[in-house]
Amino acid sequence: MSTLRAEAFPESAVRARARSGAAGALPDPDEYGRALFGADPARCAASGDPIDRLRLVPPVFVPRRLDKLVDLAREPVYRDVELDTVVGGFRSTLPLYVSAFGSTDAASVSLGLAASRQAGRLGIPMVVGENVMPVNGYGRIEEHTGRSLLGRITAYADHALDGLGGVVVQQSTEDADAEVWNLVYSDPNVQPLLESSRLAFELKVGQGAKPGLGGMTVLDAAAATRLADRFTIDPVFGGGSTRVLRSSSPGTFTDEILRQQIRLMRNNFPRARVWVKLPPARDVREAALVAWEAGADAVTVDGAEGGTGWAPVAFLQHVGLSLGECLRRIGEHPSCLLVSGRMWEGARVAKCLALGANAVGLGRAALIAVDTDVEDGLVNLVECLSLELQMLTSALGKYHVGLLGLEDVWSDAGAVWSPTG
Amino acid sequence: MTQLLAIRGAERPPPADPREHLSSPVTRSVLTIQHRMLTAARDFLCGQGFIELLPPIIGPVTDPGARGAKQVDVDYYGHRYKLMTSAILYKQASLTAFDKIFCIAPNVRLEPIETATTSRHLVEFHQIDVEVAGASRAGVMQLAEGLVGHVVGEVVARLRGELDSLGRDAGTFGPLLAEPFGRRTHAQAVTDLHAMGHAQNPDAEIDWAGEAMLSRQASKPFFITDYPKGSRGFYDRENRERPGFLQNFDLIAPEGYGELCSGSEREHDYATIIARMRETGENPAKYGWYLRMVRDGIPGSAGFGIGVERLTRYVAGLDSVWQASAYPKIPGVASP
Repeated sequence: MSTLRAEAFPESAVRARARSGAAGALPDPDEYGRALFGADPARCAASGDPIDRLRLVPPVFVPRRLDKLVDLAREPVYRDVELDTVVGGFRSTLPLYVSAFGSTDAASVSLGLAASRQAGRLGIPMVVGENVMPVNGYGRIEEHTGRSLLGRITAYADHALDGLGGVVVQQSTEDADAEVWNLVYSDPNVQPLLESSRLAFELKVGQGAKPGLGGMTVLDAAAATRLADRFTIDPVFGGGSTRVLRSSSPGTFTDEILRQQIRLMRNNFPRARVWVKLPPARDVREAALVAWEAGADAVTVDGAEGGTGWAPVAFLQHVGLSLGECLRRIGEHPSCLLVSGRMWEGARVAKCLALGANAVGLGRAALIAVDTDVEDGLVNLVECLSLELQMLTSALGKYHVGLLGLEDVWSDAGAVWSPTG
Repeated sequence: MTQLLAIRGAERPPPADPREHLSSPVTRSVLTIQHRMLTAARDFLCGQGFIELLPPIIGPVTDPGARGAKQVDVDYYGHRYKLMTSAILYKQASLTAFDKIFCIAPNVRLEPIETATTSRHLVEFHQIDVEVAGASRAGVMQLAEGLVGHVVGEVVARLRGELDSLGRDAGTFGPLLAEPFGRRTHAQAVTDLHAMGHAQNPDAEIDWAGEAMLSRQASKPFFITDYPKGSRGFYDRENRERPGFLQNFDLIAPEGYGELCSGSEREHDYATIIARMRETGENPAKYGWYLRMVRDGIPGSAGFGIGVERLTRYVAGLDSVWQASAYPKIPGVASP
């Protein structure tokens, strides 16, 4: 067992699923016939999360099941639910992708590589974070390839399913100095992904854990001097500490700056998909609409409850919209919307799809899963999530996850879920 | 004659080794023509009062406007320096010394691998880089037209034998030497391409294939003007009356040879440059020396850069641009 901890996250449940796979979707079979089960109202009510407070509500009348019955010439069951979809321009086996692991040492090299291999095997897209290149290098000449950005990309590509999934390389304002995208786009090693239309670049406008701030890492003071010309180095831990805080800037955006940056990405990298990552900001809908209008293949929104990253306490507790409120504000939208924030099991995923997301990102859950089982942890976790998603979707009388909609959720607060869009 | 036939082959492979390339009579003819072109360009510009400057090779920043290409990093006493992708920032700065400057500038761009088959991309190439203080776009377009006309005219007048040996018909240049160059806006070019069934993105640079299609239809060089803002670097000036469109131009060769030259009126207002840097995804912090100069004031200007090897390819009628370089470096190919 590693030292990786995630106290604000259902870590033990994720680890259990990473070990047991689909069995985790059900109670312990040894208890079958001996214990009584039922919902725990206290658990649902205790959560202040608007998505947790929603319930999925199956109907009696299920005309789409009739359609499926006609199609199959037998009664449909949950395993008949189709999960394949398009995620930000990539064909994907599931409405899932692996999020970037944030600016933290937690996303250590071996876990990053394990997640890459398993995401490739699953046929779902994977985002490589902005921190990987500056911390671990690119991996072409002098650096150790396995540790690097290229190592992550290669690990994914070597295990990828034919024509499925894709690699998304993130870049933030300071990364532009290192020209991460230009380097990847012009690299002969990446050509197979480009030629199969499985490379995307993600413009990082912000993130869930600390909206309004840039990326942060804690560094040894000695290592920090090397970066002082590019990042803010702040000795917040006091003169007695050997460690300092390294901050990126959040980057300055207006609607015109965002629009033109996206157009320039499309101009400069015409064979790559364009993703745009937004923070849970109060103008998230306006920003998302600018991004889609400028030609982004996907907008990803990180709820304030998301993020693996190291963030100031005040931000973790008090800053940013919840993912549920982001989805409510975005409402109707013209193109692909991807969301992340505390995703690890099927019900929350199904609710987000019903609220308008096209797919969801696994961040901390993916990291904990590969930390639990470096060979199969993420595959096992996703197997369990997929089974839940099939059961829930079929219960709602639908046989493709893309058909989930607002009619499938209900708020126990009596309030109608009313998107603004 | 065998050599000539070889030149006309499709998708020309790069030379096997420098000796084979350099000792080829074709290469000798091409480089002779190129030498005459450079001499003619210098004569033309010096005759108009331009000062030739020797351009810098490395610097803390360089032109970020190269489509998809990676800059080459240099470890400069522990600082990350760049090989010049173009001299644009230094051209603007140089106008604090002289009003009319030019340089024959070497540039290096690690181009995307897909450009290895366009027949017109080299990783290492040269530009005739011109900048004029106080000039308008119309003024430097006229200058570029005059310069190209003079260079081609000199080759036709003095090196007819070399053109003949390469199978290049000097009569091809009749329209170029006798008539004004054509002009169309980027929006018109997009409309023309759509009419030809080509899916050109209206917000972006004309793509390689589209540019070749337009070029093949022409019998003399033509300008494309008013590129959309999201397609070029921060230094191309935005049209104040038509926001979203730039006061810039490309010069396209006829017969399918494609782009020869890019130019523009330049932005020189400090706050506008900062905003444009952000719109092009740049981090202003790394442009310290340039922004200090801009903040203290640099002249408004217009200018252009003509690709020497591309112009040579067009004049000599070559299949591939690498034939116009003594030591060609094709994207993705490790070569001397």
